[in-house]
Amino acid sequence: MTAARPIVEARAVGRVFPMPAGPVTALRDVSLRIDAADYIAITGPSGCGKSTLLHLVGCVDAPTSGSIVFENRDVHSLTEAERSRIRLTRLGFVFQRFFLLPMLTARENVELPQAEAGVDASTRRARAAELLEYVGLIDRADHLPSQLSGGEMQRTAIARALANRPALLVADEPTGELDEDTGTHVADLFDRVHADGTAILLVTHNAALAARAFRRYAMKNGRLIS
Amino acid sequence: MTSAWLAFRTVQRYRARTALAAIGVAIIGALLFDMLLLSRGLVASFADLLDRSGYDIRVVNSEGVSVSRTPIPHASTVSAAIERLPEVASVARIRLEPATVAGGDGSDLDVTVIGSTRAGGRIAWTVVEGSDLPDGSASTEPCPVLVGRNLANALHLQPGATLQLRADVPGQQSALPPIPCRIAGIANSLFASANEFEVLTTMRGLREVRGGTDNDDADLVLVASAAAIDPAVTVRAIAALRPDLRVYSNDDVVDQFNRNGFAYFRQISVVLSSITVVFTFLLVATILTVSTNQRLGEIAALRALGIGRRRIAAMLLWESVLIVGLGGLAALPLGGLVAAGLDRILKQMPGVPSALHFFVFEPRALGLHALLLSATALVAALYPMWLTARLPIASTLRREVVG
Repeated sequence: MTAARPIVEARAVGRVFPMPAGPVTALRDVSLRIDAADYIAITGPSGCGKSTLLHLVGCVDAPTSGSIVFENRDVHSLTEAERSRIRLTRLGFVFQRFFLLPMLTARENVELPQAEAGVDASTRRARAAELLEYVGLIDRADHLPSQLSGGEMQRTAIARALANRPALLVADEPTGELDEDTGTHVADLFDRVHADGTAILLVTHNAALAARAFRRYAMKNGRLIS
Repeated sequence: MTSAWLAFRTVQRYRARTALAAIGVAIIGALLFDMLLLSRGLVASFADLLDRSGYDIRVVNSEGVSVSRTPIPHASTVSAAIERLPEVASVARIRLEPATVAGGDGSDLDVTVIGSTRAGGRIAWTVVEGSDLPDGSASTEPCPVLVGRNLANALHLQPGATLQLRADVPGQQSALPPIPCRIAGIANSLFASANEFEVLTTMRGLREVRGGTDNDDADLVLVASAAAIDPAVTVRAIAALRPDLRVYSNDDVVDQFNRNGFAYFRQISVVLSSITVVFTFLLVATILTVSTNQRLGEIAALRALGIGRRRIAAMLLWESVLIVGLGGLAALPLGGLVAAGLDRILKQMPGVPSALHFFVFEPRALGLHALLLSATALVAALYPMWLTARLPIASTLRREVVG
């Protein structure tokens, strides 16, 4: 029996930020493997390095030591265009502050990554409708973000992250801006996304959200503790 | 979902910002458009004025300076010789004399009496009331005159009335008696300014006003080339016939003024055009940069989602094009209104013919306006585009959350 091929692997990564007052080490020798069926939560106090790790895994930052291997390719050796392509087609990002485009409707926000990936208009319209139905917002499809509640915006952002059928969904404090009830609904949605076959890596302060993950890690002083 | 469409949705979403920016560009663009109209307007209008006079060549005496030439002596012989050239269709002799007429309040009004061998209609005087002067020397009437509209309005003159003209003798009190001249008609002269009084008469009429003396001088001989003859060919023929005279085609006159008198307008126009382009650049670049800085988190998130740098940069470029395009379009009617107002003011300057325009529309000015604004839109978008292209995604996202 052969082991499942990992989606992404952090191999002894370190990240040091140069600062005027001296370098700050955010990550020290962190290794993490994320497979297709994974549902991983990382918790820890502010500034412990969990978002930094998420950014490295999400291919938006580069480690100062060690390596990130995404689907067997060392991310460091890729061009920015190739990394961008990975983010577009193999990864889905969910942010604490949603970052929906304010001038686009919910449907158009979900369509945007598909348009970038070259999906034709009718296909992406159908996919956007399917995803908005999935997150329970089909009746708000033509509403602007300013007309949506925080929970609705985060559900739209999750639909947008799923638009190109990513292998891995990474979420940075996805319930950080939401009240408890709304956060619970978003957490339920993550459970569903995972159950439907998408791997999830999330960093959170929310213990209830982290408790739903199958693998949980804590971070302290830039180190990952199982 | 092209970059242009995203840019359109952005400017639509931020209506107040777009409107303010477009109004700013419209005002600056209107000034730019006016400067472009001014840069060649006077030359184009002057050339048009000369062409509309019906003559394409001017002959003057080579003696004296350009602003005060000695008249051509024996002008009737000169003009007859020129008229016999096969390259020439017709000739008109022009003589100018200062004179006075009695004003309504008893004071004298200074007028310029123009003696011509041709009827008013042949030398760009358009009769608006009454009748024209006879062409050539066919008249037996001692002093028929066409009165310019300014003088007719000032003295409430009508065709058929009598105008008492007294010639001025330069340098001394005039001893000549006023001569009664019959007003044949009221006319607009192409070259009359808004604040000048002019009277056109025949050469015989001018002799009467001068007290019967006739020295056969002419200040100017106007020549019309024969059909299908290039004016340059006629100029060479006249210069060969009378090397002692100066011969200019209309193009030569325009060229000379373009190099001398009009050069100032062109330089002013270039300087002001450059300033307006710089202001447009600063306005649009500032608005786009501020707007981009306000959206850094959003842009970093888009990049994290895999939206390419090129699409985001193109979106900013289109935003710039839309703002400058909207403002640039609005600048055209606004610039046209400002140009019309400025033209009216400038034409009040003494000696400027009423038919001359400082601001003249040419398709070239419109093309240049569009080209300069397009280039400005592109350059103004460069810094925000560079800003987004080099945006560090992770640290920007972190900063947005911490902020």
